[in-house]
Amino acid sequence: MTNNKYIILCLAVLFISCDNDLLFKTTSSKVTGLAFSNTISESDELNILDYLYYYNGGGVALGDINNDGMLDIFLSGNQVKNKLFINKGNLNFEEITQKAGVEGNSSWNTGAVMGDVNGDGLLDIYVCAVVGINGFYGHNELYINNGDETFTESAQKYKLDFGSYSSSAAFLDYDLDGDLDIYLLNHAIHTQESFGKVDLRNKRNDQTGDKLLRNDGGTFSDVSETAGIFGGINGYGLAVTVSDFNQDGYPDMYVGNDFHEDDYYYINNGDGTFTNQLKKYFGHTSRFSMGNDAADINHDGLPDIISLDMLAEDEDVLKRSQGDENIQIQKMKIEKYGYHYQYSRNMLYINQQNSGYLETALLSGIAATDWSWSGLFADYNQDGEQDLFISNGIPKRPNDLDYINFVSSDQIQKKINNTKLVDQKALQMMPSGKAQNYIFKGSKNLTFEDKSSTWLDDEKGISGAIAIGDLDNDGDMDLVANNINEEVSVYVNQTDENASYLQLEFKYPKPNTFGIGTKVYAYYQGTLQYKELYTVRGFQASSEPMVHFGFGDISKIDSLKIIWPNKTEQVINDIALNQRLVVSPEDTKPFKYTSLVSKTRALFKKVDDNLGINFTHEEDNYIDFNRQKLIPYQVSDRGPATAIGDLNNDGKKDVYFGGSKFESSRIFMQTDSMFVEREIKALAKDNRNEDVVALIADFDNDAKNDLIIGTGGADFYNKSTPLLDTYYTQIDTGFIKQELPKYFENASVIKENDYDSDGDLDVFIGNNVVSNDFGKIPNSYILKNESGKFSILRNQPFQNIGMITDAIWEDYDADGFTDLILVGEWMSPKFFKNTNGSFIEEKLTDSKLNGLWQQIIPFDIDKDGDTDYLLGNWGTNTKFKASKDYPLKMYYADFDGNGSTETIVCNYKNGDYYPVLGLNELASQIVSLKKKFTTYKSFAGKPIEDIFEKSVLQNAIVLEVHTLASGYLKNENNIFEFIPFKNELQVSPISTFLKYDFNGDENQEVLAAGNYFGIIPFHGRFDSFPGALIYNETHIDLGNTIGLDFSQKAIKDLNIITLKGASYLLTTSNNNSAQVYKLIK
Amino acid sequence: MVKKTCKSSLVLLMILFFVSSCKETSEPIIVTTKDFHTSVDKVMEVMVHDIFSPPVASRVFVYPNIAAYEIIAQKDTLYHSLKKQIKHLKEIPKADPQKLVNYPLAALIAHINLSKQLIFSEDKIEKHRDSLYSVWEAKNPREFKDSKEYGLAVSTFITSWMGADNYAQTRTMSKFRVNSENESRWQPTPPSYMDGLEPHWDKMRPFVLDSAAQFKPIPPPEFSMDKSSIFYKELKEVYDISNRISQKGDQSEEIAIAQFWDCNPYVTVTRGHLMFAVKKITPGAHWIGITKIASKKSGADFNKTIFAYTKTSIAIADAFISCWDEKYRSNLVRPETLIKTYFDDEWKPILQTPPFPEYTSGHSVASGAASTVLTSIFGNNFYFDDDTELTFGLPIRSFASFEAAADEATISRMYGGIHFRSSVEIGLDQGKKIGKLVTENLIMAHE
Repeated sequence: MTNNKYIILCLAVLFISCDNDLLFKTTSSKVTGLAFSNTISESDELNILDYLYYYNGGGVALGDINNDGMLDIFLSGNQVKNKLFINKGNLNFEEITQKAGVEGNSSWNTGAVMGDVNGDGLLDIYVCAVVGINGFYGHNELYINNGDETFTESAQKYKLDFGSYSSSAAFLDYDLDGDLDIYLLNHAIHTQESFGKVDLRNKRNDQTGDKLLRNDGGTFSDVSETAGIFGGINGYGLAVTVSDFNQDGYPDMYVGNDFHEDDYYYINNGDGTFTNQLKKYFGHTSRFSMGNDAADINHDGLPDIISLDMLAEDEDVLKRSQGDENIQIQKMKIEKYGYHYQYSRNMLYINQQNSGYLETALLSGIAATDWSWSGLFADYNQDGEQDLFISNGIPKRPNDLDYINFVSSDQIQKKINNTKLVDQKALQMMPSGKAQNYIFKGSKNLTFEDKSSTWLDDEKGISGAIAIGDLDNDGDMDLVANNINEEVSVYVNQTDENASYLQLEFKYPKPNTFGIGTKVYAYYQGTLQYKELYTVRGFQASSEPMVHFGFGDISKIDSLKIIWPNKTEQVINDIALNQRLVVSPEDTKPFKYTSLVSKTRALFKKVDDNLGINFTHEEDNYIDFNRQKLIPYQVSDRGPATAIGDLNNDGKKDVYFGGSKFESSRIFMQTDSMFVEREIKALAKDNRNEDVVALIADFDNDAKNDLIIGTGGADFYNKSTPLLDTYYTQIDTGFIKQELPKYFENASVIKENDYDSDGDLDVFIGNNVVSNDFGKIPNSYILKNESGKFSILRNQPFQNIGMITDAIWEDYDADGFTDLILVGEWMSPKFFKNTNGSFIEEKLTDSKLNGLWQQIIPFDIDKDGDTDYLLGNWGTNTKFKASKDYPLKMYYADFDGNGSTETIVCNYKNGDYYPVLGLNELASQIVSLKKKFTTYKSFAGKPIEDIFEKSVLQNAIVLEVHTLASGYLKNENNIFEFIPFKNELQVSPISTFLKYDFNGDENQEVLAAGNYFGIIPFHGRFDSFPGALIYNETHIDLGNTIGLDFSQKAIKDLNIITLKGASYLLTTSNNNSAQVYKLIK
Repeated sequence: MVKKTCKSSLVLLMILFFVSSCKETSEPIIVTTKDFHTSVDKVMEVMVHDIFSPPVASRVFVYPNIAAYEIIAQKDTLYHSLKKQIKHLKEIPKADPQKLVNYPLAALIAHINLSKQLIFSEDKIEKHRDSLYSVWEAKNPREFKDSKEYGLAVSTFITSWMGADNYAQTRTMSKFRVNSENESRWQPTPPSYMDGLEPHWDKMRPFVLDSAAQFKPIPPPEFSMDKSSIFYKELKEVYDISNRISQKGDQSEEIAIAQFWDCNPYVTVTRGHLMFAVKKITPGAHWIGITKIASKKSGADFNKTIFAYTKTSIAIADAFISCWDEKYRSNLVRPETLIKTYFDDEWKPILQTPPFPEYTSGHSVASGAASTVLTSIFGNNFYFDDDTELTFGLPIRSFASFEAAADEATISRMYGGIHFRSSVEIGLDQGKKIGKLVTENLIMAHE
C-alpha cells in the first residue's frame, strides 16, 4: 500500500514535470458540474444535406448574471434545451435553467450573447434561432434579467422576436447615444446555384439579410436601410466583429460572409450610417469566412483582425478536401459579377488605420487551422503579447473529394430528393472532421507559434462557439467551448501567479452600464498595449465584459489611458498590477481622436494631373497556367518597361513605357511645364513585342540617346521574332532600328557599363525563363559595344547562369574594373569579378542562399562605410516553405514522357516533401496520375517519392530555394551575410528598389515596392505591401505612413523625374496606371 | 480469293480435328452475343463512374470495338477488315495457326483489355474480367490461353495505333481561354462554372473524315441583340419554349423528352453545404445503348453485333471530332448566359448547360451520325423501345425509326434550354453527312 502510494506520488511528480508547459487544463463536467452537450441527432428529415449549417453548433455566453463576483455560463443548444449555470466558486457550477426560465422555446437555437439590453446593470441574454425552414419554429429570444436568478422572455416587447435565419447578434452603441444597439447576423440557407451579381445584397430579404437594430429605449427599430446595411439573399453572415477600426471614436464592423459573398467592412460615418469599404482596405479576404475577432497584436494602438476559414494543415486532410477555385472562374466572379478576391484560408489583417491592411496570415503561421469556427485573441500566458485560440472540427466533412465523387456516382439510380436512403449512405461516406483545437503563442513580430500540442491537453473533438473570462478569479483568462455531441469543455488557465496581469471592469452611466466600447491604452517600458471592450467576439458567443492585460514579469506599468464611449479620456497612474480594477469615469476631459492619427511626416504627395503622364499599362490576358498548368507563378506579366532619358535631344528627360503584347510603346516628352505624349514612328511599329525592360543611353557616342528594349512575355516561343530584343539609334530625324545579335529569350534586365574601358557602353542582358519550358535555364549575355554595334561576348560564364531577374555593375573589390552581380529565381546572388574584361564567379555569400530574388541595389544600410546590397525576394507570406536545411524544391522533368516538361513544386513538412498542389491539379497535366490514384484518399498524405517512380524523380532536375525573405547582404570585408528584413517587408515580393535622398537630409534612402498577382487562387494574391522607405538597419517606414499608396498595385518600377527643378517619384505598375508623387522635402 | 479461303478453312479444320482428338476432356468455350453486350455495359458503367466528357467517351467506345471487329473479321468472311480504310490502321497480327484460337473469345478479351486501359477505375473492369477468365479457364485451359494470348496481342497492336491519335498530346495542351470581354463568346455557366471541355479535340486523328473540318457547318447566325435579328429570335425562342414548358409542369411531354436525352455525364447538384454531381451516360453512350437494343431485337449474331457496335462507334467518334472542331471555332455563347443577362437573372434551363461552347449541338451531330449508320445496318422504320435510361430512373420511350429517335434527341436540346434552333438543325445535318460518309466509304459487311 505504502509502496503504491509512493509510486503514485512519483507518477504525479513525473506528470507535473512533463506537463509544466500545459497552459490550459481541461476539466471534466464531473468536477465542474457543467453537464451540457450540444447533441444533434441526424435524421432522415434533418441533416446537413437538408440544412447547410446543420453543424454550426450552439452558442456560449459568459457573464456574472447574479452580480456575485463570479462568472456564470449560458449555453445554447441546437436541438437540446439551453442551460444556465451559476458559478459557485472553485470551478463548481450549479444549473438553474428551469428556475431561471431560459431553456428556450425555439426548435433550433444558434448564437447566444449577453448584454445589458435594458440598461439596469444586469446582464440579459439574447438567444438567436433559425426559424421557418425544415419545420423550425420559434423566434429569437430575449431573456431580461430580473436580478433574482430569474429571467423574463421579452423579445416581443423589445421588438427583437425575429423569426429569421439568425446566426448571432452583437451589441454596440453605433450612434453614441449611450444605449446598446444590436447588429443581427442572419444567414442565407440556399447553396449557390449561380453566383448572381453583387447587387443582390442591395435587395433586402427579411429572412437572410442582416439587420442593424437601433435601441430606442425599450424597443428596437430596424434602421438597416437608412444606415446602409446590406440585407440580401446572398448574405451568409457567420460572424461580426465590432471595433473602432479607424480610431475615429465611432464603432465600425467587420462582417464575415460564407461562400461567394464578400465580407463587409462597415466604416461608421458618424452620422448614423455606415459605408462598406472592403475593397478599399482589403486586397482579398477569406472565402468561406467563419469566425472573426479583433485585437491589437503589434502594439500600435490599432485593432487587427482575424477571419477564419477551413484550410487544413494536415497533408492528408488537405489533399482530400476541395480547394480553391480555378483562376478563370475567379476572374469571372470578380470581373463579371463584381465580387472581391477571396481565398480559402484564415486571414490576419494588420491595421494601417487609413490605408489598406497588411494581410499576413501565412507569414504569421496561422493560415491553416482546418474547419475553424471561432478564434479569440487574448494574452493567455500573460507575457504581454496577444495569443490566439482557434476552435475547430466538424462531425462530417462535406468537402471531402472522395465523398463528393461518391455521391456523384453510385446514387445515380435514385433521385436524391425522393429517397432518404441516399442521404443515410451519403452521410456515412463523409469522413469525420474531429480535430484538436489550436492555440498559438503571440510574439512581437507578427508571427505566432503553434503551441497546441504543449499548451492544450484536450482530445480531438468538435468545438464551435467559445468564450473567455476569468472563471476562477485567479487573474488569467479561462475559456469555455460549446461542443457538438460532447460535453462542454472548460479550459482552466494555469498561468496563475507566473505573470502579471490587470483586469479592468467598467461602471459606466446607464444605460451602457458595462461601458461597451471603452478603449484602454496601457503604457509601460516604452511599450503600448491597446484593448477595446466588446463582448461579442469570435463566433456565436459573448465573453466576459472585462478587459484583461498580461504584462509578463513587469511589476508596474507607467499609466493607463481610458477613452470612454462618449469620447472623453481619463488617465490613471500608479496602478498596482495583479488585480481587478473597477473604473468609472472620473476627472475626464474631452479626447481628440485626431491625436491618434500617425505622426510620421508625409514625404510624398500624389500629383493630381500626373504631370501629364497619363499611362495605364494593360496586360494582355494571356494566362500562363492555361498552358503550363503546374508552374509556380506566371512569367508573362513582368512588364511594363520604363526608361527615363532624353529622347528628342532637347536636354530634358523623357519617359518611355513599353507596351504589352500587341500594345504599342508610349512616350511622354518633357516640355517646359509638363509631359506630353508623342509618337516616335519607328518605335510604335513594333507592337507585337512585349517590352519588359528598356534602357536609354548613348551607345554610338553621337551625343544622342539610343534605346535598347528587352522583350519577353513568355507567350512567344521557339524562334519567334517578338522574342528578339530590339535596338534603336537616334539620328537627327528620329530613330532607326539596328541589329542586335539573334538570341530568342525572355529578357528581364538590361544594364549598361563600359566594362572593358574602351570608351563606349556595353550592356548585360539578363534573361528569365524559356517559354513553354519553365524550369529550363536560359542564357544571358554581355553584349560588347564596338562603334555602336553589339556582339555577344563569348566564353563568359553567363550561359545557363540562372533565371535572371536583375543585375548591377559594381566594382565591389575596388580594383578599377566594374564587376557584375546577378540575382534571379531559384538561384543565389552571384558575384562575377571582372579582370580585364573577363569574368570569373566568386563565392562571397553563404552557399545556401537560393531565393526567388527579384531585385538588387547597393546601399550602405548599416552605415559602416562599405557597400551592402539590398535584395528583393518572394517574401515569406506564402504557402511555399524554404529553409537552408529544407529548401523549397522544384522537380523539373518530362514526368509523363509526352515530350513536354512539367514542374512540380514541393514543400517540406514533417520529414517529407509533398507536392504543393493536389491530385486534380497534377493530373490536369500528368494524366497518368488519375489512373494511379483512383481515390483522393490514396493520394493524400503521400510524399513525392510515393507519387512518382524513383527513376522518374532521379532523372528530374531539382531546383531549390533556401530563403524566401527579402533582406540585405551585409558587407563584412567583402564577405556577405544575409540578414532578412522585418516581417512587415515580407508580406509580398519586393520587385523594385530606388535609391535617392527622398527627405532632403542629404543622405540617401532606399524605397522598396512590390506586390504580385501572377499566382493561382490556391496561392492567393500578394497585394498588401504598402512599400517601405529604408533609412538604415533599424529605421524603416512603411509607405502608407509617408504618403504612398502602393497597396493592391503590382509595382514594377520606381523612377525619379525632375520637372522645373522639382523632384517627383514615378511609379509604374503591371496592368495599372502609372502614378506621380511630388517629393515634399 | 476463293482459293485462299478454302486453304485457311482447311487448316482450321485440321486444327479442329487435332484439338478434338487430343483434348477430348475439355469442352469448347462458347462466347455469346450476350457476353459481348455485358462487357459493353460494364464499360459504360465504369465510364459513368469515372466521368468522361462526351468526346473522350466516344474514344473509349471506339477502339475496343475496332479491336474486336478486326479479330472477328480475320475469321468471318462476311466482314472486311478496316485496315487501310480508317486512318493509319494496318493489318492486325495473325494468330499462330498452331494455336487453338477461339476468335469470338479473343475478340471479347481484346475488347475488355482495351476498355480497361481506356478507363480510370481499372479494378472495376478487372473484377468483371477475372470472373470471366476463371470460368473460361476451367472450361478449356488451352483454348482460353491461346485465345487470350491472341486477344491481348491484338489489343497491344491496337494500343500502339491508338497511341498516335494525338490524345496524349491534347491532354497537356493549353486550357481554353475564356474571352469575357466579348459577350457573343462562350462563358462558363452555372452552377459549377467549369472550364471549357476538350478545346483541342479537333486535333484528334479522325477515323473516316479526311479532317476535322471536312463537314464544317455554315457559321451560326450572327450575334446580335437587335430584336429583328435571327440570333435574337432564336434566343427568345429558347426562353419562350422554356417558359411554355415550365407552365405545363414537370409532367409535360417536352420535359420528358429533354430529360430522356439529357445524357450529360456530369450534372452538378447543390445540396446543403456541398456541391456534387449526378453522373449519367454521354450522348454517344446512349446511341451505343440503342445499338445494343437493335442488335438484340434483330437477333444479330455475335459478329454482326460487333460489326454494328464498331460502325456506329466510328461514326460517333468522328461526329465528336467534327462537332468539337466547330464548337471552338465559333465559340458561341450559351442561351443561359444571355437569358440571365437580358431576360431574367433567375432563369435556369431545364437541363444543366454542359461546359463547352454552344454551336453545333453535340447531341445532334452524334445522333445524326449514329442514326444514319444504324439505319444502314438495321433498315428504315426499325421500331424499337429505348430503355437505355431506365437505370437512371427515366421511362422507356418508343421510336418508329432511328431517324425519329435522332429527331427527338435533337429537339430535346431546345426543350432543355441549352441550344438554339440553328445549332440543333445544322448539327443534325452535319451528323447525317458524317453518317453517310461512314456508311458509304467503309466497306465492312458483305450484304
